[in-house]
Amino acid sequence: MPLLEIRNLVVRYGEIEALRGVTIAVEQGQVVTLLGANGAGKSTTLRAISGLAKPASGDILFDGHSIAGLGPEAIVRLGISHVPEGRRVFPGLTVKENIMLGASNRKVSASQISREADAMFDLFPDIRAFSNALGWTLSGGQLQMVAVARGLMAKPRLLLLDEPSLGLAPVIVQAVFRIISQIRKDTTVLLVEQNARMGLSVADHGFVLETGRIVLGGKPDELWGNEAIAAAYLGGHAKTHA
Amino acid sequence: MDLILQLLFTGIGIGAVYALVALGFVLIFRATNVVNFAQGEFSMVAAYLMVVCVELGLPYWLSFVIALAGMALLGVIFNLGVYYPLRHRTYLPVIIATIGASILLSNSVLAIYGPQPQVLQGWFDTPGIQLGPVYLDSQYLLIIGVTILLVLFNFWFFEKTLLGKKLQATSQDKEMASLLGISVSTMIMITFIYSAVLGGLAGILVAPVLFVSIQMGSTIALKAFAATIIGGFGDVAGAIVGGLALGVIETFGAAYISVPYKDGFAFLVLIAFLVFRPQGIFGERVAEKA
Repeated sequence: MPLLEIRNLVVRYGEIEALRGVTIAVEQGQVVTLLGANGAGKSTTLRAISGLAKPASGDILFDGHSIAGLGPEAIVRLGISHVPEGRRVFPGLTVKENIMLGASNRKVSASQISREADAMFDLFPDIRAFSNALGWTLSGGQLQMVAVARGLMAKPRLLLLDEPSLGLAPVIVQAVFRIISQIRKDTTVLLVEQNARMGLSVADHGFVLETGRIVLGGKPDELWGNEAIAAAYLGGHAKTHA
Repeated sequence: MDLILQLLFTGIGIGAVYALVALGFVLIFRATNVVNFAQGEFSMVAAYLMVVCVELGLPYWLSFVIALAGMALLGVIFNLGVYYPLRHRTYLPVIIATIGASILLSNSVLAIYGPQPQVLQGWFDTPGIQLGPVYLDSQYLLIIGVTILLVLFNFWFFEKTLLGKKLQATSQDKEMASLLGISVSTMIMITFIYSAVLGGLAGILVAPVLFVSIQMGSTIALKAFAATIIGGFGDVAGAIVGGLALGVIETFGAAYISVPYKDGFAFLVLIAFLVFRPQGIFGERVAEKA
């Protein structure tokens, strides 16, 4: 049984059908990457899983149980942690406070949370020095580190990462992906990326979304091998297919 | 010099009341992005609750506890009845709802108690103490003392506790807070309860100094609102500093310039701030919430 299974998911924003029947499965222990252009529905898929967007039809099964229609607070308690687009680090709280709040889905004492947050800096040494800096003072790369660290504090069984490389310098992108390859040892990851090369480099499986539908799925090698896909999403030179 | 010290004491005392109400304004504004126009009525209702309890012959301390408990309950009802049903709408319907609630509260009290202003005696039997040249009125001492304790509590609560951090997170980004498992509706409920108790406390403390009347809420709320703008809208420290400054300014204005225009000075200062420093005293720190 897959850890996460999405069946025929439809999500509407008013009149607009953002997802038009998406079906994907994420096996325990995998890193699955969701590729696609802007507006293809990648973020909407993650938002539906974490409860921010309500499915119009279809189902989302986590560990075999339907979570479609549950609120975000309930879903994160089940063990799905969503690091959303734009990092969303609380600007008026310090780095450490941001990371500590990541444990809000679990019932643990404040001192325990504080110790866990300190331990989190072992995985993210670059932000250790900024522990007491307020969120709004950080750079894009630091914000991404804080956002991922905060997401991991939930001790998730499934981590949803939305465009972790967006707007970051190449060297920072590599640092972020090094962290993803460390996370995967303990956590299943569903990763959304526009940067297909980086996205597939850490993946066990990939899906390609196009205007609200999955048009292709397979192992990274198979996706690389598909000429049309390589052209459209992986930086080839052929014309963009319709 | 003696007069100046005396006026300073009185000004800080009345300013502390504005500061408490202003703090309620700011906390609700930060949590919901809405100005609660019924914040002043919280003070008025609490003062009447106090009058009722004292008239029933209950001890002063017990009346105090009952009135504050009543305000906590009013905070719950207010949240569920006024804010919660409209929480997914824009700010405008919520603001209109708070204005409606303010009218409902003042007219309900008017219907029950009539238009006659009531008198509430102070907590202490001793009217005050003479400290050198300055006469310290006991009720003003109480107001200042309670305000200092509350400011300290407020700092500890928001800066040192995890719950305070969750409240801050909720006011900065509700969607992200909910993704972390923070119950946003609980956080907003706590904010309303806390703000109603703060407003109520201000009303109970100031009641023996003023008359207890239907209008006392709107007078205090207007001054407190001016205080939040002077301090820097949405800023906790600004609300407290703005409130104290306003109390001192209007007391000095009344003493040295004109007593009938006492209420006018607060708004004169407000206009001056809106023209020359619209971001308020602590305005530049708005960047923290951007």
